Amino acid sequence: MSIAAPSTQRNTFTGWLLAPGVFWMILFLVAPIMMIVYVSFWTQTTFAINSTLTLDSWKNFFSSEAYVGALWTTLRLWLIVLALTFIIGYPAALFVGLLVKSKTVSTILLVLCVIPFWTSFLIRVLAWRPMLGKEGAINIILQKLGLIDSPIEVLLFSELSVIIGMTQIYVVFMVGPIAFMLGRIDRNIIEAARDLGAGFGRIFWKIIFPLSLPGVVVGAIFVSVMVLGEFATSGALSGRKVNLLGNIIVTQVGSLKWAMASVVGVILTILLGIVVAGFLRIVDLKSEL
Amino acid sequence: MESKALKPILAVYVAAFILFLYGPFIVLGILSFQQGPEGGPQFPIIDWSTYWYRHLFGLTPPSRIAPLPVGEALLRSLTLAFMTMVTATVLGVMAAQAFRRRFRGAGIVFYLIVLGMMVPGVLTGLGTSLLANNVVGVERHWWTTAFVAHVVYTFPFAFLVMLAILNRFDGSVEEAAWSLGVSPARTFRKVTFPLIFPGVLSAMLFAFTLSFDEFPRTLFASGRDQTLPLAIYGTFSVEIHPNIFAFGVMTTLFSFSLLAVYGILMGLSVRRAKKIAMQEDIA
Repeated sequence: MSIAAPSTQRNTFTGWLLAPGVFWMILFLVAPIMMIVYVSFWTQTTFAINSTLTLDSWKNFFSSEAYVGALWTTLRLWLIVLALTFIIGYPAALFVGLLVKSKTVSTILLVLCVIPFWTSFLIRVLAWRPMLGKEGAINIILQKLGLIDSPIEVLLFSELSVIIGMTQIYVVFMVGPIAFMLGRIDRNIIEAARDLGAGFGRIFWKIIFPLSLPGVVVGAIFVSVMVLGEFATSGALSGRKVNLLGNIIVTQVGSLKWAMASVVGVILTILLGIVVAGFLRIVDLKSEL
Repeated sequence: MESKALKPILAVYVAAFILFLYGPFIVLGILSFQQGPEGGPQFPIIDWSTYWYRHLFGLTPPSRIAPLPVGEALLRSLTLAFMTMVTATVLGVMAAQAFRRRFRGAGIVFYLIVLGMMVPGVLTGLGTSLLANNVVGVERHWWTTAFVAHVVYTFPFAFLVMLAILNRFDGSVEEAAWSLGVSPARTFRKVTFPLIFPGVLSAMLFAFTLSFDEFPRTLFASGRDQTLPLAIYGTFSVEIHPNIFAFGVMTTLFSFSLLAVYGILMGLSVRRAKKIAMQEDIA
């Protein structure tokens, strides 16, 4: 069908269509990230930075217990939240994507999961306070049920509250992609396996789970990227007890310590790169989607 | 059989799961009707009242609790979201249109665009501020630095939505128009655009809502004047009152009205498409 003559004309046309977007991303995404790397080697004076290159900020980061501690806290919370979103999200996705026969019901359930996102992110975070507090909904319910005598105080302003909050906010990003992949499984394969006498466990591990793996990977990438870059949830629900890398960046910028903020930014970028590349090694997404 | 028992168990589980997603919001909704101005942001409800809603609109007698500084911030956020929506959608449609043909470097360009939604807001926010402060030398404002950061974030969503739509698009209608001598610009306006309109609408919805609620990028890049999420964030550090909950309920209602507008426009465009198809059938 292709005509030889207008081909070059069409190529330039494609170029013109792409140019604005590509330039926007290079100028306002790639350049800023390069800038973070560059500034991390700048010299920090009390209230300013200058472009004399130095390793001071990097040395400061690795010699400070608080900063390195934030790195470990970030990694620990990321692993916990990732595991929880997977464990809590997978069964829900299994039901929505595979077990529900009617497409309409499945769509309605997915929409139900997405509706909370129409409330401001910050207010959703804040809503956990009256839920988890000492006089919060959970403590009141548990006390009314007679399960506990005195309120559980560790529920709010602790690492636990940050974990609960993040899990609730991000679990849907795990459910969506998994449910999508499960929905694409050819039901005949499962029928066939059942006819050949395979039990549900076997069908799950041999057919369903492997076929849903790309969804798990996409979900895990979404959750990881968001949790690793978090600072608002930890700030609002931990009473500043939990400091993630994101929180360090915010406080450093707040006190005009741009060089240190940049060091933390570079570390975060490297961390994200490793995590995403690692997940992409598990499945080849391009061939799956 | 095991799977027979599995389905009801999972149904109950999903119900609990949805309760988990909605729990905080239900609590928030209940507490927004707390009595004021003495009632705090926790249980028990002293008395049901709409005090905090009236407080939001400045309809209550002055008390020690300052009204939320949302008026101007709301206006800024709406303007910013609108600017972002238009820019991101135009960029998204253009880029997706280009992707309908195979070209060299398509993989790299694809990842470059998608990177915008993958890089955490702290990083783009920080980088944009550094660039503005130290290289370009411009002051940070919500309508300059925050705006470009918002487009970086929302453009990929618009692009992916449009890509999904154009993948299912039958190019032969365009070719028919071209072969009849209709100019490409006119073909796009009269043929392509009406067909991809539902996608454009979805892309706009994505871009607008994501920008309206965007927080981390704005925190770094917006400078002095606050947008709505920043105004809400400002109340975090101080004592919180149920007025923020009332405000949460209001913003959610606002989002739903946006969704309703989206639904109506979508319904109209689908109906129009059906009508055209029917006319063609008759002809």
